[in-house]
Amino acid sequence: MIEPEKSTLTLGFIPLTDSAPLIVAKEMGFFSQWGLDVSLQKQNSWATLRDKLHAGLLDAAQMLAPMPLASTLGLGCVPTPVITPLVLSLNGNAITLSEKLHQEIISENKISHLTLPLAAYLLQKVIAKRKQQGRPKLQFATVFPYSCHFYQLRDWLASADISDKEVDIITIPPVNMVAHLQSGEIDGCCVGGPWNAKAVRAGTGLTALTSFDIWQDSPEKVLGLLESFFKVNPNTVIALTAALKQACIWLESIPNRFEAARLLSSVQYLDAEVDVIAPSLIGSCLTHISMPPRAIPSYNQFSRSHNNGSINVPEHVRGEWLMSQMNNAGQLTGIEVPDNLVKRVFRPDIYQQMRLVLEDQQVQFFRRSG
Amino acid sequence: MLAWALQCFSHKAFQPLDHTMLGKSLSASTTTSQSKVASDELCILLIDENVQRAESISSALNNSRYRISHLASPSMSLLKQVNDIQPDIIVMDIESPSRDILESLQAISHFNPKPVVMFSSQQDTNMINQSIESGVSAYVVGDIDPVRVKPILDAAVARFREFQKLKNELTDTKQQLASRKTIDQAKRLLMKKKNISEDEAFHAMRKTAMDTGQKLDDVAKTLISLLTSL
Repeated sequence: MIEPEKSTLTLGFIPLTDSAPLIVAKEMGFFSQWGLDVSLQKQNSWATLRDKLHAGLLDAAQMLAPMPLASTLGLGCVPTPVITPLVLSLNGNAITLSEKLHQEIISENKISHLTLPLAAYLLQKVIAKRKQQGRPKLQFATVFPYSCHFYQLRDWLASADISDKEVDIITIPPVNMVAHLQSGEIDGCCVGGPWNAKAVRAGTGLTALTSFDIWQDSPEKVLGLLESFFKVNPNTVIALTAALKQACIWLESIPNRFEAARLLSSVQYLDAEVDVIAPSLIGSCLTHISMPPRAIPSYNQFSRSHNNGSINVPEHVRGEWLMSQMNNAGQLTGIEVPDNLVKRVFRPDIYQQMRLVLEDQQVQFFRRSG
Repeated sequence: MLAWALQCFSHKAFQPLDHTMLGKSLSASTTTSQSKVASDELCILLIDENVQRAESISSALNNSRYRISHLASPSMSLLKQVNDIQPDIIVMDIESPSRDILESLQAISHFNPKPVVMFSSQQDTNMINQSIESGVSAYVVGDIDPVRVKPILDAAVARFREFQKLKNELTDTKQQLASRKTIDQAKRLLMKKKNISEDEAFHAMRKTAMDTGQKLDDVAKTLISLLTSL
């Protein structure tokens, strides 16, 4: 067993369905098995979570996959090298449209009902009509400028040749998203769970498609920590990564997923009903209050082996993909990107060290238990 | 709490300020003392769900150059308010979810940056201060104290102005360098094409600029695209 240099840790998280690995690792005792005393600190905004991590007030945090790259490049902050040794989850977002836009799509396209996942071209007539009537552009919201939500929404619109000049895309914190759909201040949003399910249960929106319908199995949340923290506390980082990896494995089983929904629903975590947390965890996408759910087995993916290894490996190709998305969105214009950026931020080498330690620990466990 | 409340605590009539005033030199002003007070006034957008605290901050700023518009309960209207009010400073709780809305605003509005002062009831803000891009936003150490709020705002405004000045100077210098490069390139192309001296080429370009009322830089750009496309 490795000895962590620092054993009392504070981790930041945003209350979302895919913060499950952190909450499970805490509640199921995986952190303590690795000699770590972890407190989870709920955060209200991604920017403040990032600043606290940069300042060392948080030892590590659940981050949006593009955030460690943005931090290291200094996009919206002082350049601060942040690394990721572990992908925490894939997919998990969805695009939900307001009931008003839903009805507008039906009437403008003269159809009786919608086929899901919704094709973006059905928005074209609505956009044209609004323009003709001199009404404001469609207003969409995502959760942060450097988020897969933003790139996924852009990709979906681009699939119907709708440029981001024809609609407005703004940032709204997840916690305020449903209220904005309801008040009509936004026409649609790309957000993570449980907010899509909440909007559907409240009769406020139609979940038109999930991020899995846009990008199959792309990294969504990662474990982020300062490069300097890893240099001083390598064993702590390996122990932390191992505990979270165990939580991800624990979350692979569907019966466990329902238990996770119960854990997440408590006040100190998501403070939400199980009936809006559980569906996406068990692969069900609520679509509309008067329509049946869709089966999306990979809606929230925390662990799965594939041919070349595990989805939790922060492979460089994942980082390159995110960089290309940032570039397409014009976020790298005028920014000097160092050649080794992705290699510096995405650290499969730490993951492999952790894997060896984890295997070793499991061998010893089986030996002990005879 | 979903509805937002916009209140003006100032006794003066609410009147959105032109944001460009922030950059204006006050010493250059030769207006009467009354209008000088008005142009000196800074509009603060305060985002705080704690109405009591907002009121005490507001009364602490009575008879100062700061005028507070209070926005309780963050919502999309925040974006609208920022647009309509064009505040000179934004003051908010660091733990507010609206932080991300403002973050994206800073990312989008390159042309209209604003100082953001954030306060925190936690004692650890000093460390965060060091990791925030200096000048763009400032942090308040500890909880916001009505007695200290004015000097804190003064410092934030001064820091922000200094930062903007440096940033503008840098942009100007970069632009000057770029246009000098363009002019040089056009000059060389013209010399080669017309087989004339450097002086003659420069004079020809300057004459064209004066005759057509264009900038020398723009004439150079046109020349380059003409001469390189032939």
